[in-house]
Amino acid sequence: MTTKATPDPPSGSVTIKGLTKTYGQATAVDGLDLEIRPGEFISLLGPSGCGKTTTLRMIAGFEKPDSGSIMIGGKDVVRLAPYQRDVNTVFQAYALFPHKSVAENVAYGLQQRKTPRAEIRERVVEALRMVRMLDFADRSPTQLSGGQQQRVALARALVNRPGVLLLDEPLGALDRQLREEMQLELKLLQSRLGITFVFVTHDQGEALAMSDRIAIMRAGRIEQLADADTVYNQPASAYVAGFVGQQNFLQGEVSADGTTVETPIVVVEGPAKPDGRPGEPHQAAIRPELISIEPGTVAEGLNTVAGEVLQVSPLGEVIQYLVKVTDETSLLIRRPAHGAVRLSPGDQVLCGWAAEDVRLFPLDTPPDPTTARSPQ
Amino acid sequence: MRDRAARRLPGFVLAVPAWLWLTVFFVVPFLQVAWFSFGEKPGMFGTHSNAVMSLDRYAEAFSPTFFTIFRATLWMSVLGTVACLLVALPAAYFMALKVPAHRRGLLVALVMVPYWTSFLIRTIGWKVILSSEGALAGFMTDVGLVGDPHDLLNTRGAVLLGLIYNYLPLMILPLYVAFDRVDNALGEASKDLGAGRVRTFFQVTLPLARPGIIAGVVLVFIPMMGDYVTPAVLGGAKGTMVGSLIASQFLTAQNWALGSAMAVVLILLTMVVVVLAIALLWGVGWLVHRRTELVVGTVPPPDPRLPTKEVVTA
Amino acid sequence: MNKPADKNGNVRILASHAGARAIRQELSRRHFLSLAALVGAGAALSACGTGDGGSSSAAEPGGGATGGPVEKALSIYTWGDYDAPEVIEAFGKTGPKVTLDSYGSNEELISKLVAAKGTSGYDIVVPTGVYIPQLIENDVIVKFNKDLIPNIAKVDPQFLGQDWDPENDYSVCKDWGTTGFVYDTTVIKRDLKTWDDFIDAMQKEASGKTSLLDDPQGVAGLYFWANDIDWNTEDMADYDAFEAEAVEKWAPHIAAFDSYPSTGAMQENTFALMQNWNGDARLGILEHKQPDRWKWVLPGPTTELWMDNWCIPAGAPHPEAAHAFIDFVLEPENSFKEMDYIGYHTGTLGIEEMAKERKVELPEMIFFTEEQLATMKNGAVNKAQDRRTEVYDKLKAAASA
Repeated sequence: MTTKATPDPPSGSVTIKGLTKTYGQATAVDGLDLEIRPGEFISLLGPSGCGKTTTLRMIAGFEKPDSGSIMIGGKDVVRLAPYQRDVNTVFQAYALFPHKSVAENVAYGLQQRKTPRAEIRERVVEALRMVRMLDFADRSPTQLSGGQQQRVALARALVNRPGVLLLDEPLGALDRQLREEMQLELKLLQSRLGITFVFVTHDQGEALAMSDRIAIMRAGRIEQLADADTVYNQPASAYVAGFVGQQNFLQGEVSADGTTVETPIVVVEGPAKPDGRPGEPHQAAIRPELISIEPGTVAEGLNTVAGEVLQVSPLGEVIQYLVKVTDETSLLIRRPAHGAVRLSPGDQVLCGWAAEDVRLFPLDTPPDPTTARSPQ
Repeated sequence: MRDRAARRLPGFVLAVPAWLWLTVFFVVPFLQVAWFSFGEKPGMFGTHSNAVMSLDRYAEAFSPTFFTIFRATLWMSVLGTVACLLVALPAAYFMALKVPAHRRGLLVALVMVPYWTSFLIRTIGWKVILSSEGALAGFMTDVGLVGDPHDLLNTRGAVLLGLIYNYLPLMILPLYVAFDRVDNALGEASKDLGAGRVRTFFQVTLPLARPGIIAGVVLVFIPMMGDYVTPAVLGGAKGTMVGSLIASQFLTAQNWALGSAMAVVLILLTMVVVVLAIALLWGVGWLVHRRTELVVGTVPPPDPRLPTKEVVTA
Repeated sequence: MNKPADKNGNVRILASHAGARAIRQELSRRHFLSLAALVGAGAALSACGTGDGGSSSAAEPGGGATGGPVEKALSIYTWGDYDAPEVIEAFGKTGPKVTLDSYGSNEELISKLVAAKGTSGYDIVVPTGVYIPQLIENDVIVKFNKDLIPNIAKVDPQFLGQDWDPENDYSVCKDWGTTGFVYDTTVIKRDLKTWDDFIDAMQKEASGKTSLLDDPQGVAGLYFWANDIDWNTEDMADYDAFEAEAVEKWAPHIAAFDSYPSTGAMQENTFALMQNWNGDARLGILEHKQPDRWKWVLPGPTTELWMDNWCIPAGAPHPEAAHAFIDFVLEPENSFKEMDYIGYHTGTLGIEEMAKERKVELPEMIFFTEEQLATMKNGAVNKAQDRRTEVYDKLKAAASA
């Protein structure tokens, strides 16, 4: 039934090798390699300017790479026009045709492929039913809310049965509640259809919630490619650690015996020895939810600091504390609300963590200012 | 309190200056012309009188001479408008969609700069270029495109050239604005969904630019119908347009009543042509749209007893 | 001997030499304003009916001028580029600040004066003689205070006491001219002498390269002069015959209707045969880079004589200055400068002798012999005006087809 050529398996796979794209002096994508498996939900995550959208647009065919190859379903597509590739795109601002009705928008791709009228109608109805927009079929897209337009854009792309669906920050314009609903829906849809989804986002929460794998991008390259759990718990670099979830970063240097990192406020012991020679700058990252907090005044030993509670924010199931250690340094701490010790601003506290919860990174490249989240 | 009073002013107040302007400078003069057209020329030394009211001037205005020249004027204006459209469409498309944003201002300025020169001077410029002693005439005679260097100036072709040249900016600008407003992503979406460049242009870009096209056509066609300078300078005897006919009634025959009747007939006929042209444009758009029209209407929910068909079969 | 083109030096135009010349010519010699005439008519239309019923001075002879002090300003409404700048400047030095405004046709002038009903603000206008009865009848010009214009005595009596104003109570000759034709001797090798020759050549050698005056009366004249019919005829049968010949025989051969072909299009050799007023023809030949190529003909059997006249409109705000100016310009020395600039006979006594003495070029195109004068006749505004315009429009329609 599909009019797009169905190549040999693996249909829906994308293989990218050495992909490079520069705009004048600026390198947007810098020798990127990426292997996307058929049927997986992969997110390209990174701050703006990291090259994720450029990568997506090169897969879609809107930009020509300077060098490198892109194979979709085993077929080299670098020289092919967008409509010759087994992909469809859901655009950031949906890009629905304002002069066509919802149904005509969805039918557009099928009409270009000279699908018989009766089949077009049937498939448009199915696609709209799938995204629960059938009742709006004859309306103009300009009369729809953002979420509704989003669904129509999805139906318009999926009705063509592409091997790969590219989504360019499709939820960015929605309000939070709707965004969370759509995340769930997208994920369900993707697992039901078995289509490869390549999802571009700068929102790590979104990426964590939906993706089978996440490619964290930095300066045109992939910093880490792994599933959500690995990315969160075993970040490959300080950059990843800082971008995914929140972190407390403590900067110091490797101790004389080479086993710990000495920071101005505490000596940090990690799960292993720091990867550096004594005296080299190093940093430790500790997740807020992995730090314990209890009343107390004197810090003793490794991985323990004393401080003063600055702020207590009950966030529902967790309570967030901001603890001032020195004038320059504070720690962000999150504990389960259930069974937490009652603390108020001004209380003297002791904070501590287990050695295996610490991630140590060399400080050869300072954490990107846009990604390192200093606790506040 | 003052604030609230200001807020309660009805919105149409904003339109009052425009309405005043139109009333004073368009409606009143038009009504005066219409009023004269029912009168007569009272005597050798008079210009107009409404002492006797009649439709006789209209009977006189509907002369074969008027229609011969009106037909020529209409033909030139239609040709000129179509030519402007054909030249302006690719130019405006290029300016709006193919040129980096920071260069567009320069291009718009380049389109506009000649327009700041006096209309007459611009037209006379062409007279110099087209004259039998001009370089163009020499070149075209040498390569055998024309038999006689006198064949360029004082021809219909020269008038058409002048009309296109003089009114082209009025076509390019609305088209440029229209194309500029078409979201780039729509073109990408169209290509993503299987349409090539040409089909994207005709199915997405052009329909969305339609208001600009209509504005451009009206902006160009109506002044062409009334143009009097371009044919006078470039057309010689071949360039008589209906404007000069009306002028001769006012300025030579001093028959304001007949001149007014001709003016009213010209205005009404021009309006009819414009309405027909807009209807035609909409009609073409409608026909094109009908080919891709899809009305779903109400669809019964799928029978829950039947297994749900997967939408996308892998 | 200055060429008139040099005197236009105050118009500075940045263009190629040929371009500048074409532009200047379009902007001058009545031509520019005739293109803008529609605008003028519009202004007249909107002014119409808003006048306050005429100024009180309309009835007063001399517009109230009694020889009192000359006012500080003078506003002249005349044909474009029609007066020697040095004369205007010299008069300005005697006191009044002179402003010039211009029109393109008598009808335009009349429309404006009639509509303004004495509020036009002009002090001097320059209508062609045949329109003066209309201006008098509509009370738009006033009688002179002839005591203030003693220099009328210096005008050749031959050019005084014309039919339209036998006592020169309202008007005095500004200048006069006639209609003839100019042809390109490289295109038309034979000798043309009469209007019949003109019509013949138009349909032969000069087909598609002939221009006629952009004026219904001049075009009708061409037929009547050639056929020795009174060109002021009111016999409609004459016009039927004129229409038949013009529409059927002339129309396909006409390249343009142009009242200033010699100073304009002729410079680019656009036309080979041009019906033309003598002043324009003379300037055109003088300016042309090959003056010998062109031949001027004052054709027989009859032709036109037209005269433009100084008049004072009703309600003129500066009547003393107006009288002073007219007297100033009739002074032979000033009159000579006017003649030299525009190339038309100003009617002053002894001016022909002055011209000979000072070696004015092509004097035969300014001054005419008694025999030639006998063939020239004034036109008239008469009942045939509508019919003339109708035939003219039909000819234009046929020529444009």
